[in-house]
Amino acid sequence: MTTVQQTLLLTQWQFRRQATMLPLLVLVQVFLAIATILGFGLVIGDPPPDQALYLATGAPTITLVMVGLVMTPQMLSQSRTEGSLDWMRTLPVPRGLFLVSDLLVWTLIALPGMVLGIVTGVLRFDVDLSPAPWLVPATLLVSLTAAAVGYGMASLLKPTLAMLMTQVLVFVILLFTPVSYPADRMPAWLQAAHEWLPFEPMAQLIRSGLASDAFSMPGRSLVVLLAWCAASVAGATWALRRRA
Amino acid sequence: MSEAAVLTVRGLRKRYRGRNGVQANDGIDLDVAAGQVVGLLGHNGAGKTTLVNQVVGLVLPDAGTIALEGVDAVARPDEARRRTSIQAQANVPITGLTPRRAIELVGRIRGADRAAVRTRTGELLDALDLGPWADTPAEKVSGGIARLTAFAMTVVAPGRLVVLDEPTNDVDPVRRRLLWQQIRSLADDGRAVLLVTHNVREAERVVDRLAVLDHGRVVADDTPAGLTAHLQGTLTVEADLSPGAVDAGWRWHPAVREVSRGRNREVGTVRAEDAAEVVRWAQGEVAGRRLERYALTPASLEDVYVELVGDEHRAAQGRTAEVAA
Repeated sequence: MTTVQQTLLLTQWQFRRQATMLPLLVLVQVFLAIATILGFGLVIGDPPPDQALYLATGAPTITLVMVGLVMTPQMLSQSRTEGSLDWMRTLPVPRGLFLVSDLLVWTLIALPGMVLGIVTGVLRFDVDLSPAPWLVPATLLVSLTAAAVGYGMASLLKPTLAMLMTQVLVFVILLFTPVSYPADRMPAWLQAAHEWLPFEPMAQLIRSGLASDAFSMPGRSLVVLLAWCAASVAGATWALRRRA
Repeated sequence: MSEAAVLTVRGLRKRYRGRNGVQANDGIDLDVAAGQVVGLLGHNGAGKTTLVNQVVGLVLPDAGTIALEGVDAVARPDEARRRTSIQAQANVPITGLTPRRAIELVGRIRGADRAAVRTRTGELLDALDLGPWADTPAEKVSGGIARLTAFAMTVVAPGRLVVLDEPTNDVDPVRRRLLWQQIRSLADDGRAVLLVTHNVREAERVVDRLAVLDHGRVVADDTPAGLTAHLQGTLTVEADLSPGAVDAGWRWHPAVREVSRGRNREVGTVRAEDAAEVVRWAQGEVAGRRLERYALTPASLEDVYVELVGDEHRAAQGRTAEVAA
């Protein structure tokens, strides 16, 4: 049994467990992605082309971050509460594979929403995209980082507390991260904080992947994002290995 | 039958920290050999689940050793999990799957190859009479069927040690018999089976040995015959009183030692040599309409279990009452 086979079997397990909810989950993701675009469009009015591009290329990041930081911890908290996590942990499976298989499931669920969000953005704001060849691995990196942070949060906090945290995060991510608007509109202290948080680098990476002619990825941001990715995956794996 | 040790636990201690810190395991020694079914008895909070969770590396012991086929399970939880299959006390939620699909997937996740898993799944579904439910979505099957599915998931590609926590819960009497046969045959195939249960009466017929856990300690560990040996000359006598008999000052025959009294139901023990005398007396009580019915049975493991852990509990309750007073 190879690790890859085992991961795919676990993924199959998780995927089928969600089977009854799957259409609804995908639908909600699609709805959220489109609503983000149209909603921000209403807030801002008719944005000039550069702002429109910013908005259209920021929305996919919101979708990915929401799935990773909100849906993943909610599902993990649920499986902790219903007892299936403890049971799965008795299986002879390397701990990191739980993270990988969950991530695969959630990326697949987020994907239609992300794509339709991009399409909506292009249609609504009439912008031109120039996708970079590394857009797909960049998407996976953002997705992995967000899911690992969410995973760690849901493993370390009590389920009820983790659920509450996700509610707060939705609000913070939508309004107080430089994803859908440029960072220079924020107060200086918040800008400084975002230099060390993963959200701005995530947005920059997806943005420059979608519109590589208009945006570029600062090297520093990539380092910050990779550091978050490494730390959060290590943290989530540690949380899965932890013994009471 | 091989007698090779599969699970060896020595001096296992675990205390849960926190405000209401509990000494869940307080120096447990336990062995389960290949080919054996060992029953683990003890009421809620006796430390059974903590013990099991330490074997598969979900809980870290404070002290003591756990060896699985000679491998240190505390240092190598991954190796311990490879060698162990567990049916947890709570049912594994499998909504979205069918029993057959769930059993097959777990078998393959555990590393068995596709063809072997398919064959074994079919055999288990037949043996447990799950055929009619095998392809029904899990959200439509009853608790008993879900329980049996969880059992099959555990043993489809079993480790050398199989741990079953209350496998018979919710299972109907007919399928329960089939389940006991499967549990026995696991051991006969050379696995070591650790069976956590409250169902003393049924487990008695399947287990090779019984360990009784109380307050995190093993208070008895013997064969069923060994545990009941000291009660061999004793019979249990149960009596259902007629309404009003208690108020009329009803008493046991002097040869009966009272064990418990409930609402119009009395239980006592009687020495075998006095049994005939007590039966004659009880017939008279029935004729006089003071008793509705009575029964004499050989002392069972359940009696031993109650004797072992029940007394201490009554004592503990007495202490609490004193403190409260």
